[in-house]
Amino acid sequence: MNKILTLFKREYRAAVRTKSFIISLVLVPLLMGGGLLAVFIMEKNQDTDDKRIVVIDHSGLMADRLKEALDLRNQQDIYDQESGEKVRPAYIVEFIAPDITDKMSQQSALSERVKNAELHAFIEIGPDVLHPSGTSGGYLKYYSEHSFMDNVRDWFRNTINGHLQQLRVAELNLDEEQSADLFTWINIEGMGLVTVDKKTGEQQEAEKVSELQSFMVPYIIVLMMFMLVMMSSVPLLTAVMEEKTEKIAEVLLGTITPFQFMAGKVLGGIGISLTTAAIYVTAGIVTARMTGFGSVIPYDILPWFFIFIIFFIIMVGSGMAALGATCNDNKDAQSIQFPAMLPVILPLFLIMPVIQNPSGTLATTLSFIPPFTPSIMMIRLATPVTVPLWQPIVGLVGVILFTIFTVWVGARIFRTAILIQGQKPSVANLFKYAFKS
Amino acid sequence: MNIIELSNVTKTFGSVVAVNDLTLSVPKGSIYGFIGPNGSGKTTTIRMIMKITYPDSGSLRIDGKELNGQRPGSIGYLPEERGLYKKMKLGELLQFHGELNNGKDLKRRIDYWLNLLDLTEFKDKKVETLSKGMKQKLQFIATILHKPEIIILDEPFSGLDPVNADIMKDVILDLQKEGSTIIFSTHDMGMAEKMCDYIFMIYRGAKVLDGTLSHIQDQYGNDTIRIQSDMGVEALEDLTGIEKINNFGKLQEIRVSSGTDPQKILSEVLKKTRITRFEITKPSLNDIFIRIASPERKEAHHE
Repeated sequence: MNKILTLFKREYRAAVRTKSFIISLVLVPLLMGGGLLAVFIMEKNQDTDDKRIVVIDHSGLMADRLKEALDLRNQQDIYDQESGEKVRPAYIVEFIAPDITDKMSQQSALSERVKNAELHAFIEIGPDVLHPSGTSGGYLKYYSEHSFMDNVRDWFRNTINGHLQQLRVAELNLDEEQSADLFTWINIEGMGLVTVDKKTGEQQEAEKVSELQSFMVPYIIVLMMFMLVMMSSVPLLTAVMEEKTEKIAEVLLGTITPFQFMAGKVLGGIGISLTTAAIYVTAGIVTARMTGFGSVIPYDILPWFFIFIIFFIIMVGSGMAALGATCNDNKDAQSIQFPAMLPVILPLFLIMPVIQNPSGTLATTLSFIPPFTPSIMMIRLATPVTVPLWQPIVGLVGVILFTIFTVWVGARIFRTAILIQGQKPSVANLFKYAFKS
Repeated sequence: MNIIELSNVTKTFGSVVAVNDLTLSVPKGSIYGFIGPNGSGKTTTIRMIMKITYPDSGSLRIDGKELNGQRPGSIGYLPEERGLYKKMKLGELLQFHGELNNGKDLKRRIDYWLNLLDLTEFKDKKVETLSKGMKQKLQFIATILHKPEIIILDEPFSGLDPVNADIMKDVILDLQKEGSTIIFSTHDMGMAEKMCDYIFMIYRGAKVLDGTLSHIQDQYGNDTIRIQSDMGVEALEDLTGIEKINNFGKLQEIRVSSGTDPQKILSEVLKKTRITRFEITKPSLNDIFIRIASPERKEAHHE
């Protein structure tokens, strides 16, 4: 055990003293925070250049209403009420009569104007927009270079549809009072469940579930897990490969057993990731509290997080160390790195389906498959849905058993492969080292 | 008393028999030289003694114990190819190796050895800044820092200049005086002749020589003549009774055929030229090595 600790100390010191560790420790949260900051800055610094738009109204119904709405918008919405600063672009609209004889030429000329930046876009309102059913003229077309995710397009869609609704209501001869609520859209609020305080027996009102809680928290947790494994376990592959090729392994194996060697290295990985995790979790909690988001921190799942991350690192780390022992050069290591990382990467693609339905068959089943359990179970636990306690416990038992198996197989591969030169890390060789040597 | 005992040890890698039915006893406190051509089984034998790899059959005892699955306690190992963490500082690296080997009084001993091998000024430098010879010395310190009872040195003199090789030789002899048993493998036959109490030669996995130098030489008899003459090697042309001439330029070493009288060779050369040196001797270890592992022998082996 002393020898494992000595090796652990060396691994830990060697890693935390490197510039790359310190840089990644600072850089990762900066990049993540930077992403949020960029969104914030983008929102603050919107494009305020005025937009010229041409409207071709085949229906003849929209011009007056659009002019009114545009005047109102340009008066009220484009300047900040308090500072008087321009915060949005004004929309300057030119209405032109449709060219019925040569529609294409008209569209082509307008497209040229868009290309020359004289226009932002042009809109075609179909002749039958008021009653589009069964006609081919019930369309709204928005022509521009970037019609996807365009605020101008959204504004016109809402304004035109709003006016069409009013016109349809007017045709029904309803008075204003009767029609006031006709199109009122009520959002459905996401709520948690009513709970009963176990001590007092008092019923507690259900809490509103925020998007931040249901989406961001599991997302951040699984990303953090991924990052910690990438920082601590994955580098073991190249580190062991280097120790083998530079003959350090042979020197050490004169003193320690292959198992002690591997254990020391994997423990070093755990030390590194726990240090990082402790720093990030503490910084995350402090930041969340300071910015008023303290209530979204899932304190109840933090112990699960640390338990799962430890076994996850042992599981992946021993696999990586064993695979590193089979490599003879960087080329071998590169060819084997990606397939070896798949169990760590795959859960990232499953974040959305699992968050959307944390109790569904897919999420539940995956959370019991050991290589995926740490990530998927943590996503499930981090969502507002109540996961029965037996599930993380059974998941953890599975992870522990699988980790023991991985360490056993890893150690067998490691002890054989670490001294063998010139053999490729093929599946057949891995099988031979693990079960036949 | 033997500190290392191998009995009928065999080790194969696939279809290759690396070590075949080897029996060897290393007496405590001796210097035992392992010689043999590259790939003959020296390193495999050493790795088995170190318990880095295990024999397929036979028994291997260190201090009377089999030590299955464990590392031998008081043993220092300098492998043939050096392996040091490049980014570590010398002092830290030695502390690490000392701790791994349960060494005592490490700080003082590190300073002592760094001073003795002239590395003190590099104590806080990284290993990657050292020259090849310095790394060699550093690895040697890491091997013996914990005062091991058994020291196994695979090619300890390779990469060292004559001054450092001489220092290393003195250190090895001192360690023997202090009671350590030393096994070293080498291709430097001169060093093996001068330093080793016993010499063991392995060839194609099998033991071909084992014993003291004089015991080994006795097996070959006085069949070697060293001769220096004014004509050099030309004086030996057309002479009968010569099995092989090893020409060193100014000196020729002749292996005479069995039954040939060296006096006959002396008189025939004298007829041709003036002789300045004529010595009837036992073959050198180098010559014995070549006799065993020469290409002719290999061919004979194949046949």
